[in-house]
Amino acid sequence: MAITAKEFEAVTVNNLGPAVWAKLNRATVAVAGLGGLGSRVAPALARSGLGKLIIVDFDIVEASNLNRQDYFADQLGLSKVAAMRENLARINPGLELEAHNLKLIPETICSLFASADVIVECFDKPDQKQMIAETVLARMSPKPIVSASGLAGYGRSNNITTRRRSGRHIVVGDLVSASGPGTGLYAGRVGIAALHQANAVIELLIDEMK
Amino acid sequence: MSVQLKINGELKTFESEMPGTLAALLEQLGVDAATVVAEVEGVIIERAKFGSTVLRSGQNIELIRFVGGG
Repeated sequence: MAITAKEFEAVTVNNLGPAVWAKLNRATVAVAGLGGLGSRVAPALARSGLGKLIIVDFDIVEASNLNRQDYFADQLGLSKVAAMRENLARINPGLELEAHNLKLIPETICSLFASADVIVECFDKPDQKQMIAETVLARMSPKPIVSASGLAGYGRSNNITTRRRSGRHIVVGDLVSASGPGTGLYAGRVGIAALHQANAVIELLIDEMK
Repeated sequence: MSVQLKINGELKTFESEMPGTLAALLEQLGVDAATVVAEVEGVIIERAKFGSTVLRSGQNIELIRFVGGG
């Protein structure tokens, strides 16, 4: 048995109260990258009653992703955006979703995310993290961005923090734990960082959006 | 003449090899510019302009260096 979009909405209004629900319901959030971070951020926002998500990734679901990314064994070979579209529809049937299967560059960040209230950086590679942060901060004022840096390995849960670097830039992570040979990415620590990001987005939307 | 810069809130003094530009500063710090978002006096400097951004003593510089993993 499944619930309808209307029923999901009714339960969410009841959970959040109408004023908070209205803020989240009229918000749009862009999730750039659907790996260990983005595949956890997007569902958390969908569950929270967000109105619209814009998701972007250029990758497919592979067996090596399943240790930490929020996909399922029967989704191997699907594009991450297609797999995430299925998962999000199963969580919140009322969520409005825009999905793009492509590799983001500064020009597409500016065009595809123009309508987003908040942008969440969920990339893997440090130069790509730099690229989107620079693009949003330099070219998309006053839009905020929530970045992540330093989340590899295990343990040290409490070293993952949410720092506000400037009015528009929030950075999650311990800032130093890079992934690489001998330092893997684990569901626990990446997931902690991802949910810090989701929590920061929700705080921005509830406390700072008009 | 020595140069003082405030980098991420910490005062740093350069004696002989003072970095003339933001790019030179990052090189001196041993940081890969491709992973850095930089602000000078609260203004975002795009990476393409690191080499032409001249630093002056007393400036406030914020550097965020991204590491891999996601």
